[in-house]
Amino acid sequence: MASERDNLLTQMVEVITSTISFGERLSNLVHLLGRYLKVDLALYFGLDKTKEILTLQISSKGAIPPHLRLEFHRGQGVVGEVAQTRKPKVVYRRQEGVLALNAPLEKIHPAFNTLGAFPVADDNFLYGVLLLVDREERSFSSPERHMVHLACLMLAGTVRQALLQEEAKKRIAELSVLFEVGKALSSTVELDELLERVVSTTAKVINARGAALQIIDRITGEIRVSSQYGQIPTMHAPNLAETPQRFQMAEVPFLEGQTRDSEGRVHYHLIVPLTFKGQLQGTLCVFDKRTPNGDYQEFDPENRQLLFTMAGLIVNALENALTYQQVETLAERNERMVRNLTALQEISRAMLTTVQEDRLLEIILQGLVQERGLGFDRAVVLMVDEPLQLLRGVKGALRPRPAEPLPLSEALLLPLDNELNVSDWQIPLRPDLGALPLAALQMRPYHIHQREPETLATLDKIFDAQEFFVVPLVVKDRVTGVIVVDNQASARPLEAEPLHALQMLATQAALVLENAHLYTTIEANNRELMLIRERMLESDRLAALSSLASGMAHEIRNPLVSIGGFARRIAKLVDKDSPLRGYVEVIQEEVSRLEKLLREILDFTGENLSYFGDHNLEELIEDTLLLVQRDLEASHIKVVKELGELPRLHCDDRQIKQVFYNLFQNARQAMPNGGTLTIKTYPVEKEDGLYAAAAIADTGGGIPLEVLHNIFNPFFSTKDYGTGLGLSIAQRIVSRHYGQIEVKNELGKGVTFIVTLPVAKYCLVKDADRGTAAASAINVQSGGRR
Amino acid sequence: MKKILVADDEMSIRLLYSEELKEEGYEVYLASNGKEALEIVDKIPLDLVILDIKMPEMDGIEALRQIKERKPNLPVLLSTAYGEYKQDFATWASDEYLVKSSDLEDLRATVKRYLKD
Repeated sequence: MASERDNLLTQMVEVITSTISFGERLSNLVHLLGRYLKVDLALYFGLDKTKEILTLQISSKGAIPPHLRLEFHRGQGVVGEVAQTRKPKVVYRRQEGVLALNAPLEKIHPAFNTLGAFPVADDNFLYGVLLLVDREERSFSSPERHMVHLACLMLAGTVRQALLQEEAKKRIAELSVLFEVGKALSSTVELDELLERVVSTTAKVINARGAALQIIDRITGEIRVSSQYGQIPTMHAPNLAETPQRFQMAEVPFLEGQTRDSEGRVHYHLIVPLTFKGQLQGTLCVFDKRTPNGDYQEFDPENRQLLFTMAGLIVNALENALTYQQVETLAERNERMVRNLTALQEISRAMLTTVQEDRLLEIILQGLVQERGLGFDRAVVLMVDEPLQLLRGVKGALRPRPAEPLPLSEALLLPLDNELNVSDWQIPLRPDLGALPLAALQMRPYHIHQREPETLATLDKIFDAQEFFVVPLVVKDRVTGVIVVDNQASARPLEAEPLHALQMLATQAALVLENAHLYTTIEANNRELMLIRERMLESDRLAALSSLASGMAHEIRNPLVSIGGFARRIAKLVDKDSPLRGYVEVIQEEVSRLEKLLREILDFTGENLSYFGDHNLEELIEDTLLLVQRDLEASHIKVVKELGELPRLHCDDRQIKQVFYNLFQNARQAMPNGGTLTIKTYPVEKEDGLYAAAAIADTGGGIPLEVLHNIFNPFFSTKDYGTGLGLSIAQRIVSRHYGQIEVKNELGKGVTFIVTLPVAKYCLVKDADRGTAAASAINVQSGGRR
Repeated sequence: MKKILVADDEMSIRLLYSEELKEEGYEVYLASNGKEALEIVDKIPLDLVILDIKMPEMDGIEALRQIKERKPNLPVLLSTAYGEYKQDFATWASDEYLVKSSDLEDLRATVKRYLKD
């Protein structure tokens, strides 16, 4: 017996110190003990993690078929009882209640009579229960019990070792996971990349089918799924969106649960909050933990613990990344703004270097398209053409080809080598023709993101941009033009900063362009004044020369007339055959030659200048009325005009004005106490052609019959003042123009003077060429009165 | 015999005109300025006056005005070396305006036209 016991002990020590797996060690121990005690079966029930259920794990008869998987709850049957009491107990079938309590064991040994249960435990923990089963009713001797006790200690030690090792393995795995996560989190500050890694690592570590990270946007407060990995069951989406509120409202530490999909399959989820400095930042979720055979199972507390640990790590990294991203965004924006402002300053400075309109346009355009300026692909300046009411392309530029960009201050002073020809850009200023005329008409910028097809028609061949920005050039509430920019060539969207800068630039550009324009105008005026001054000096010189020449000519003319005159007289007295005759003829000829020369000199000096030209009778009358207007008003004389449109006259306008001046003054003097001056013009057809007539009627009571025949005589006057030349001069002028003056005298009423002047025949022809006037000419010829 | 007054400050012109007009069969009176001309106009029933414009003491324009005032129907011819007076309104009161020339045909023809009956 003793040798058998020694043998068993030796074998058991060999088993527990061997390198075979813990499972095999346990099963060997159970098998050895069963054989030594000569029992039918030796079974080991292991206590599960809940410490509530004992499961049959090892049998001395080898592998346990699935249908024989036995379980006892703590306190149930002899196994459960021993697990509770931790004291060995042996029972027999014949004892009351034993069969009922241990009935499940009949499945494995239908004819058992003895059940000996022994606790497998060390000083602290119970690991399971060893059950010895035999068909005989038997007892266990003291040495046998001692051996069982030893075997149970060994079993306990082995199980503990196995558990410890498993725990250690898990810890190591967890640590290495955390290490991986930590490494991932600290390896990048690119937020998107970081989140990707966090989510995928989490899912892999927990062996979940899917994982998702939700972040609450700090500015908008909106929740967005910023990253996800694997598959997320679709019915989880609504849950996912609600979770942050649930964390905020209920203050639950985590959310765990299951849902059933349309096919009846159960899905599991576990969600933990991401909290930083007491503030909820988002959630980390995992779905459907996978078992080795592909089923889904619930997440266990270890998973939860891991998820919390990871959430802590993530939150810090996230915080860093978010802060970094914000700082970077701000810095980038600042940099862009500074760059734009610097560009604006450079452009402003460059604009001050010139007042040449063309140069200014080049500077503005360079500023808009240069890489270091505002960097648009294309920029065009269009100016308003006031008389034609359209926008006309003045100058355009394209972004220079990529090369080493020059400093802006240098680039601005370069001539435009990338100029765009826009001379054929013409858009009428109509609101239905798109944003360009609209910007000008409404004096506000337009940012077109997607052009409307109907407005394409106006410019599509030359301006094909889908997205563009147009800003008006406004000076003192007046639009002088527009600037339009786009990024069509590089297909970049138009960003806010450069557009903002462009608006600022437009204000200044409008002003300097206007100034340059004014400067150009002033310069042109100055040049013209200079020319006029030169011409005046020239004409002064001519006038001086002319006055000298004409003075001399007059001095010479008198003696010449005498010499020539007397020579002619001598010639008459001299015999035809006398030699004197020839001499006298020489004198005559020479005098004639000198007189001719004199006429030419006087012609040249302007003495005989004629002031004839084509004039409108109505205009001549209106101009003359202006001269006497004040006199007429002072005399309370009302003027009634019925001026028809007539073909023009070929006349000396100064002389004809003199005629009307004299007639108006005459009329005024005839109405010292006020009255009405009526002026009518109309065509008159006579045998020798067409005439234009002007009738000037007063209400001065008429001319007494005894003086009527004298009125055109020079120096005849009924008045105490004046030369009496007025009407006679008028008559002479009119007769020199091949016209007539008639008088219609109505005693007690007034006098009407009718001036009739011939219309130059070629004026009719000339007017006919002008189209509109032709109608009037034809009307006039057919005697029609307008 | 028709009576003609010639007023001119140039002695040579006076002589030339008077010789020429006498030859045509007119009675010629001479004056060397406007004042003298007016005195003769007042004394003698003239048929025609020929006035130079530029004369000392009283010029031809003033003389013309005063002659027309006194005798509106007496024809007055202006004969001058100055062509530009053609443009002057003041001269338009004269019946004829002649620019002096060594060829006196113009003068003779004009005088004849005024004194034909």
